[in-house]
Amino acid sequence: MKMKNPEIELIKNGKRLDGRNLDELREIKMEVGVLKKAAGSAYVEWGKNKVLAAVYGPRSLYPAFLKDPTKAMLRCIYNLAPFSVDDRKKPGPDRRSVEISKVSTEALESVVMTERYPNSVIDVYTEILQADAGTRCTALTAASLALANAGIPMKDLVAACSAGKVSGEVVLDPMKEEDNYGDADLPLAIIPRRNEVVLLQLDGRLTREEFDRAYQLAFDGALKVYEMQKKTLQDAMKKSAVVGD
Amino acid sequence: MEIETYLKRDHIRNIVAAGKRVDNRAFDEQRPLEITKGFVADKADGSALVRLGNTLVLAGVSMDIGEPYADSPTEGVLTTSAEFRPMASPTFETGPPDENSIELARVVDRGIRESKSIATEKLFIEEDLVWVVFVDIHILDHDGNLIDAAGIASIAALLDARLPKLEDGKIIRGEWEGKLPMTCVPVPCTFAKISDKVMLDPCLDEEYAMDARLTVTTTDTINAMQKGGRGSFTTEEIKYAVDTAFKKSKEIRKLLG
Amino acid sequence: MFRVKNNEFVIPGQLVGTDIRHDSNCFREGGNVYSSVQGLARIEDNTLKIIPSSGGYTPKEGDVVIGVVKDVLHGKWLVDIDASYPATMDGEEVTRNPQRVDLRDYFRVGDILSAKIFSVDEIHASKLGRPSKLEGGYIININPKRVPRVIGKNKSMVNMLREKTNSRIVVGQNGRVWINSANTAFVVSVVRKIEREAQTSGLTDRIEKLLNNA
Repeated sequence: MKMKNPEIELIKNGKRLDGRNLDELREIKMEVGVLKKAAGSAYVEWGKNKVLAAVYGPRSLYPAFLKDPTKAMLRCIYNLAPFSVDDRKKPGPDRRSVEISKVSTEALESVVMTERYPNSVIDVYTEILQADAGTRCTALTAASLALANAGIPMKDLVAACSAGKVSGEVVLDPMKEEDNYGDADLPLAIIPRRNEVVLLQLDGRLTREEFDRAYQLAFDGALKVYEMQKKTLQDAMKKSAVVGD
Repeated sequence: MEIETYLKRDHIRNIVAAGKRVDNRAFDEQRPLEITKGFVADKADGSALVRLGNTLVLAGVSMDIGEPYADSPTEGVLTTSAEFRPMASPTFETGPPDENSIELARVVDRGIRESKSIATEKLFIEEDLVWVVFVDIHILDHDGNLIDAAGIASIAALLDARLPKLEDGKIIRGEWEGKLPMTCVPVPCTFAKISDKVMLDPCLDEEYAMDARLTVTTTDTINAMQKGGRGSFTTEEIKYAVDTAFKKSKEIRKLLG
Repeated sequence: MFRVKNNEFVIPGQLVGTDIRHDSNCFREGGNVYSSVQGLARIEDNTLKIIPSSGGYTPKEGDVVIGVVKDVLHGKWLVDIDASYPATMDGEEVTRNPQRVDLRDYFRVGDILSAKIFSVDEIHASKLGRPSKLEGGYIININPKRVPRVIGKNKSMVNMLREKTNSRIVVGQNGRVWINSANTAFVVSVVRKIEREAQTSGLTDRIEKLLNNA
């Protein structure tokens, strides 16, 4: 949401409100296999964002008319917990959540090998437990980890990151204040192996040059996120190869 | 009937008849309980993550200001709701709350409300303006006894909760002044009945095999009770549950700080 | 040319080789071969195989699975085998005249059985046969990818578990394990330990020690 507040100085001496440089990512922590019931799961803390993702399936799909004999249906649902935002959000999907669910599903459809499981459904649930701008990128990043954790065959992971424009400067990974009082928000998700974009949205005003800069920042940011995803999955597998108890 | 019921039911009933539980617990023993207050402290005014065995519940408290109820014009307002998130179980679907999540929210609410654990008279701001307390329960992983996990998470979140800063009748988000005034700590204890045995804190497998359940929420009085399921309880069983609830809730209260 | 070493952990989309032989957990794009799942890469017989860390059960001909009867239809049963697709069992598997008898005299809804998958069709639906009713006992679900470790080479692990605990145990390839024992909780804990430590070395010795000390 874009608001007007000339009193806050969002950028001072090249530093942002939280001390970051213009092209710096917030701190990110990732973990997989955090839930017992789901086939796969992941938990990501990205700045102050706290997001949980879980996967079920492939499983039977009802009602029958939704079944596709050539492939599995992929359903990614994005949901904000009521207490995740400053002003309590009433439970239930709102229009924003429906839109984010749609573009997230489409991003994941580019990598999940759904043709292996006709007539079934793969459900991906992402819950935002605490929101601080960039939730859809956090959610998509977590969803990708949860799908890998569930053993769902994929052609690649999906890594996401956003860029924005704040006080006339293009910045990487806006936090909440920057998103509220900034001039643009550009979330982006990539399939790193092919360097191709599977989610791209823009909300705001950017000149052609500003767009190029923001796009590059977000793209490079997503590549950094991908390295973290790789390490998280590798570490989890290595950990399970060590004697426990 | 769910497939899992067939897989678990007979065996659980057999070992219960032999006086044992599937995970070797005593009949009045709760699973390990972990409470993390302030799990999402940046936006929520209060919160708590509870792990009860493998059941995982996150409760959040959101404060707002609004009109009081007409019949209690100088008291704050409490609303409790619960969502059985589909990620928590293969049997939970997306959609509006079903009868189970509504029952859970109302039972948890009853314990908090009837015990007067929130000092609602201290939530009066000025005429026609009081604090409104929203308790939102988010079930994340279902391994049985959602009521106790949710009830404990809710009261922990309330004990964790702060009052947002109020300036000229408007809330300044991100700043807080003082804690939500609490007077006591209601704790629910849920029992499952399997044939003629009663056991505290059923895990999911035991819920598949149970005939009925009984929740008893206590402080120094009994503030809420709820019987669920198609089976029935004898008077002795109910008295046992009440006695055990008083005893066990004292132990749980220590963990709530 | 292989791009990973034997026993290296790989993630989905990771390049594992160029112009190499590979199993169904990999896919090709041009000459490049990539892993489609996370798991352990193994090079055996000059072929790259991935042992997935996780994933559900995909029905395979010849597998023995543990199922629950979901429905009794005309001439056959519908059986839940905890896979993405349904399984059925024809009445002919138990009687010569399935149309003349009440199939519920053999298996009714809720009955648990072990059976062999005789065929899997192109939409992954399985046909079961050679059923054996499993009565009493307790069923747990383990990661289907860990089943081979719980069974062991030439059934060595599961046989050791059966003998030393004097239990009846049936391990279904679909991840369901049926346990009939005087000390079910202990047997369950041992199976869970094998499941957790499936990818470690020296597991057999550790389990043997655990069983001997019990």
